[in-house]
Amino acid sequence: MIKLDRASLRYGAVLGLSPTSFELPDGGGIVGLLGPNGAGKSTLLQLLSGLLPPSGGTVELFGQAPFRNPEVLARIGLVPEGDRLPVGLKGRGWLRMMGRLSGLDGAPLEAAMAKALDTVGMSERADLPFQRMSKGMRQRMRLAQALLHGPELLILDEPFNGLDPEARLTLMALLRNLADGGTRVIVSSHILSEVAQLTDRILLLFRGRLLAEGGISEIRQLLDRHPVELRLTGESRALARWAVEQPELVAMALEESAAVLSIRNPRDFLPRLQSEAAKGGLPITGLDPLDLNLEAVFQYLTKDHA
Amino acid sequence: MSRATPLQTVRALAAGYGPRVFQVRGWVLAAIVLAPVGLMLAVSAAFALHGDALPPGSALAVFHTILAKVALPILALIAAPAGIREDLEQRTLPLLLTRPAPAWALPMGKGLSWFAWGAAWIIIATLGLQILGGDAGLLPGRIGALVGAWWGELAFVALLGLTFKRGTLWAALWLFGWENLVAVFPPFLQRLTFTHYIESLAGSRGHSVGATELLAQAQVNTEPWLALVILFLAGLVFWAACGWKLHATPVGLAGSEAEG
Repeated sequence: MIKLDRASLRYGAVLGLSPTSFELPDGGGIVGLLGPNGAGKSTLLQLLSGLLPPSGGTVELFGQAPFRNPEVLARIGLVPEGDRLPVGLKGRGWLRMMGRLSGLDGAPLEAAMAKALDTVGMSERADLPFQRMSKGMRQRMRLAQALLHGPELLILDEPFNGLDPEARLTLMALLRNLADGGTRVIVSSHILSEVAQLTDRILLLFRGRLLAEGGISEIRQLLDRHPVELRLTGESRALARWAVEQPELVAMALEESAAVLSIRNPRDFLPRLQSEAAKGGLPITGLDPLDLNLEAVFQYLTKDHA
Repeated sequence: MSRATPLQTVRALAAGYGPRVFQVRGWVLAAIVLAPVGLMLAVSAAFALHGDALPPGSALAVFHTILAKVALPILALIAAPAGIREDLEQRTLPLLLTRPAPAWALPMGKGLSWFAWGAAWIIIATLGLQILGGDAGLLPGRIGALVGAWWGELAFVALLGLTFKRGTLWAALWLFGWENLVAVFPPFLQRLTFTHYIESLAGSRGHSVGATELLAQAQVNTEPWLALVILFLAGLVFWAACGWKLHATPVGLAGSEAEG
C-alpha cells in the first residue's frame, strides 16, 4: 500500500525529512506516527497525501506516486491538522461540494454523505454554518469529508489536538471501527499515550529522521530504562525517607517542601507511590513529572543512537 | 474509484462556493457598480425637477470614466482574492488538492461564482445607465464590453494573486497605471489593455478627449466581435495559467509553497 524509498523533503535550505524508507502492506489497521513537535510528522503526511512531491527518493501509494495523481487521491482521505474550514459555508453544502470533487453525484453522492455524516455523528447538525459549530463538530466534518469517498487509506494529522476528553474518546472509537472495517489509518501525534490507546504499530520520527518502526512496548521499555524526574511536594524529609527504600531510585534532591526524585521504571514505581499515598502513609500534596514526556524519550533515544 | 472530470470540478466549486457571493464582499461589489449609476440617476431626477436635463454624453462619460476605468478594476481587485488565493491564505487549499479532481480546474471553478455575480450587477448597472440616454443600439456592445472585460480582469488579477506575493498590488498598478499610461505610448501598445477592447466594443470616446490628454496617441481600432473574442480568450488564457500554476506548485499544509 505505502512504499517510501529514501524519500526526503527540503523546504528551501531546511531539511524537513531525511531520506526515509519503509513499507506498509495492504489491509486495515492503525499506524501511529509518533514524534515531538517539529519531528517531521506533517512533512511525511504531506508526502503520503500527495500534497508535496519528494525532493529526493520515491513515494508510492498503491504502486503510484501520489502528487497530483487523481487515481491515488481517489483512494486516500486526509484530515489535516488545525481548525481549517472555509468560512461562510454550511457543513452539508461544503460536504456535497467535496463529494462532487471526488466524482460523486446524484443518489450515490447523497448516500455517501448520509453515511459519512452518520459515521461521525453529524447527521442532525450538518446544516449549521461552520462558524456556529463547536471545534469538535468541525473536526467531525473534516473527518466526514475524508470518509466521503470510502478511502482505503485515511491520514489524520494530530486529530486529537484541541478536542475535549469525550470527543477524543469518540474519535478513537471511530478510528478503531474504521480500521476494523479494513481501512488503513495513519494517525500522527506527539502524545505517546494517545497513540498507545489506538495502536501498537508506530513509526518514530525525530528531527526529520525515522528513528524506529515497530511496537509501542519497545518505547515503553525505553521509558523504563530512562531515568525520569518527579517532584513530590509535601513534607520533604518524610518523603525522602520513603523514597530511599525504593529500588527504582537513582538520585534525589531535597527542596524546602519537596523532594525531586530521579527514578527508573516509573511504571513500577508510580503505582506503589499511589498506593502508599492512598493508605495515608505518605505526606504528599502534589506530584509533578518533570520529564516524563515524549521529548525526553526522544532525547534519550538519540543519545542511544549517537 | 471515481474521480471528478474538469467540468464536474468547475461546477462543483461554482455551486459549492456560490453562497459566498451573498455575503459582505458580494454586496460591496454590487454597491461599487450600482453607486455611480444610482447617483447619476438621482442627479438626473433633480435636474428634471428643475426642468433641466443632464448634458448630452453624461451617460457615456460615466460608462467610460467611472464604470470601465474605476469600478471594473476595483471589482476585480476585491473579488479575485476571494478565489483560490483565499484558500491558500486560509490554509484550506490542501482539502481541495487532496480530492481526486484536476487541480488546474480549481481556480476557474472558484472564480466562476464571483464572475456570475459581478456580471449580473454590471448588466443591471449598464441597463440603468441607459435610462440617462444614449443610443439603444449600442447597449449590447456596452454590456458585452463590461462583462467581457470583467471576465478578463478577474482572471488576470487571480493569476497575479496566485503568482506573486503582492499580486493584488501588481494588478492595481496594471489596471490603474498601465491602462491609462499606455495612451501616450505608441498606438499598437493599446492592444495590451482591457480599455482598448472595452472601447472597441462600446464605441470610441475619441470625441471626448480633452486638453489634459493632448499627449494621447491616435486610437487604434479592433472590430467589436474580435474585441469580444479577444477578451473571452484572454480570460480563458489567464484562468488556464492560474490552473497551470496551481497544478505545478506544491502547496503544503501550511499553505505555503515548498521546493519539491
